[in-house]
Amino acid sequence: MATMAENDSVIVKLAELRKTYFTGPLNVPVLKGINLEISRGTFVGILGTSGSGKSTLLNILGMLDVPTSGHYILDGIAVEKLNDTDLATIRNRKIGFIFQNFNLFAHLTVEQNIEVPMVYADKPRHYRKQRAAELAEQVGLGHRLKHRPSQLSGGECQRIAIARSLSNDPAFLLADEPTGNLDEKTSGDILKLIHQLNDRGATIIMVTHNPALEAHFDQVIRLRDGNITHDSLITFGSPEHVD
Amino acid sequence: MLIRDLFRLSFHNLLLHKVRSTLTSLGVIFGVGSVIAMLSISEGAKQTALAQIEAMGIDKIIVFAEKPPPTSRESSDQGSVSESYGLTERDFGHINKMDNIDRITPLRNARKRILRGLRPLDLKLVGVGQSFLEDSASTLVRGRWFAPADFKNATNVCVIGSEVKRKMFTLGKTNIVGGTLRVEGQVYRIVGIIENDIGTQYPGIGSPNDLICIPMVTSNALFGNYAITREGRSTQISIIDYDLFIVRVLDIMHIDDTSKRIISYLQKAHSENKDWGLLVPLDLLKQKEQTQNIFTIVMGSIAGISLIVGGIGIMNIMLASVYERRKEIGTRRALGAQKLDILFQFLIETVFLTSLGGVLGIMLGLGIASLITYYTGMPTVYLWWSVVLSLLISSLVGVVFGTYPAWKAAQQNPIDVLRSE
Repeated sequence: MATMAENDSVIVKLAELRKTYFTGPLNVPVLKGINLEISRGTFVGILGTSGSGKSTLLNILGMLDVPTSGHYILDGIAVEKLNDTDLATIRNRKIGFIFQNFNLFAHLTVEQNIEVPMVYADKPRHYRKQRAAELAEQVGLGHRLKHRPSQLSGGECQRIAIARSLSNDPAFLLADEPTGNLDEKTSGDILKLIHQLNDRGATIIMVTHNPALEAHFDQVIRLRDGNITHDSLITFGSPEHVD
Repeated sequence: MLIRDLFRLSFHNLLLHKVRSTLTSLGVIFGVGSVIAMLSISEGAKQTALAQIEAMGIDKIIVFAEKPPPTSRESSDQGSVSESYGLTERDFGHINKMDNIDRITPLRNARKRILRGLRPLDLKLVGVGQSFLEDSASTLVRGRWFAPADFKNATNVCVIGSEVKRKMFTLGKTNIVGGTLRVEGQVYRIVGIIENDIGTQYPGIGSPNDLICIPMVTSNALFGNYAITREGRSTQISIIDYDLFIVRVLDIMHIDDTSKRIISYLQKAHSENKDWGLLVPLDLLKQKEQTQNIFTIVMGSIAGISLIVGGIGIMNIMLASVYERRKEIGTRRALGAQKLDILFQFLIETVFLTSLGGVLGIMLGLGIASLITYYTGMPTVYLWWSVVLSLLISSLVGVVFGTYPAWKAAQQNPIDVLRSE
């Protein structure tokens, strides 16, 4: 679980990160200087209401968007200097995405869905099959490999999505409201699964608007109007944070 | 992404929408199909025509007698009419002495009625020169051709064409060669049977297979240059030396000059009387080839237009498909797909589609061609290069019209997909 970060254990570091959308004559600043450190193995919750900038922060963390200024260092790599090709590669190897709507491919089997990130990592077929089977087993759906998403429940779909996010052994998992579309019981199961992954050492960044989930996180970051209004690590005495 | 995975993925996506994929490639299917069918039909027609032309011999000039149109005086006459026309002994002598002439094979139609029992047959009794067998591109199937002695002694012998044998004798009858044949009271001993299997047709005479050939000297000795024919109450006397010259030239390169010289001689010798005609098989061959080339260009243009139309149809569907599959594209990008991976995925899908259209089109085209042959008897010829070319072009259509949609797909912003829907 979260321990005090040492420098080499910092997996994500944002410094003075800003994002401004230029829409014609109007400049819309969405992130206004974010400073953040996330350590390996932490379960981080980013909370905020809609319009707080959490989606933009998520996109930048997921390297689907680039900051206007500031620095983003992922596992020692200065991301803001990378081109589109490198970003795609890093996304593929370092980040595991878990979406609110699961975003599974309806026409592919469970096995093939889990394989997708490995396909883009040029992993050979036999390795992919083996790894997909392992991961499906890990999320408790080893017997569902040949099923299609339409034959699964919402919770099972999200489990498959989680298995898929793990396939390339990413540096962290980026979960966007992973329980947003699930009922309470299933949500609980999914959170439990995520906790299990975290216990085994996975770094998890979860974005949510649901304050009730706060108790699950090692590190809670609250966003409001493009600023961090609360970082629970501050209570641990992080010297870099002023809030 | 591994190329094999890329192909598997694209193919998989097409199989997912079988009906749509087939409908999308309809433009290409019909474009390629019509091209293949038309090419097969035109090639069949071309080869038939060329074979017929070639059968007359490309080193030959065919000079033939043509009956001039009857004047009003003649046609109103109920009694006997006498007319003199066609190629003369003098023409033979003149042409024979021209440069670049190897030899002339003359032919004269005796204009006899050939009957089997009481039934008239569409056959001709003709006097021919010694070289007729060779210069008419016929082959001896039984017996012998005329010997020099037959010409020298004007013997009453004949060599019959294969159709003559079929029409005049009972099927299965043996020892035809050595037997006799009676035409208008005259008896000829049959010494051989010839056959022309490449479809040679001479103007006014027809196929060598329909001829009962006798030596020219025999013909002259028996009939002179007269022919008396009766039709109803009118009797017609034709005075005609020769009906046909098969002129063989020494050098094909100068065949045009030679034919021009023959024409100018005949124009002078026969003054205004257009009772002759001339054709050069080589010229016909060239004309036919030119016509064929024009036909090919026209067809190529039609094919081009139909393929462009088909291609635009496919581009349209692919653009719609890119829009419809934004979520898939976004998810793939988030999971690590490069822009190039997306681009190639869509491009290969389009090329698959058009190539599939090409394959189905080829099958359709060949099917239509064989149906036409089956029902109309028109020969059609399958051209391997047209099949290869169609495949190449249909794939090319895929590349040309698939690039823009694929590029559009690669440019999709992956952020869109992360936004809650």
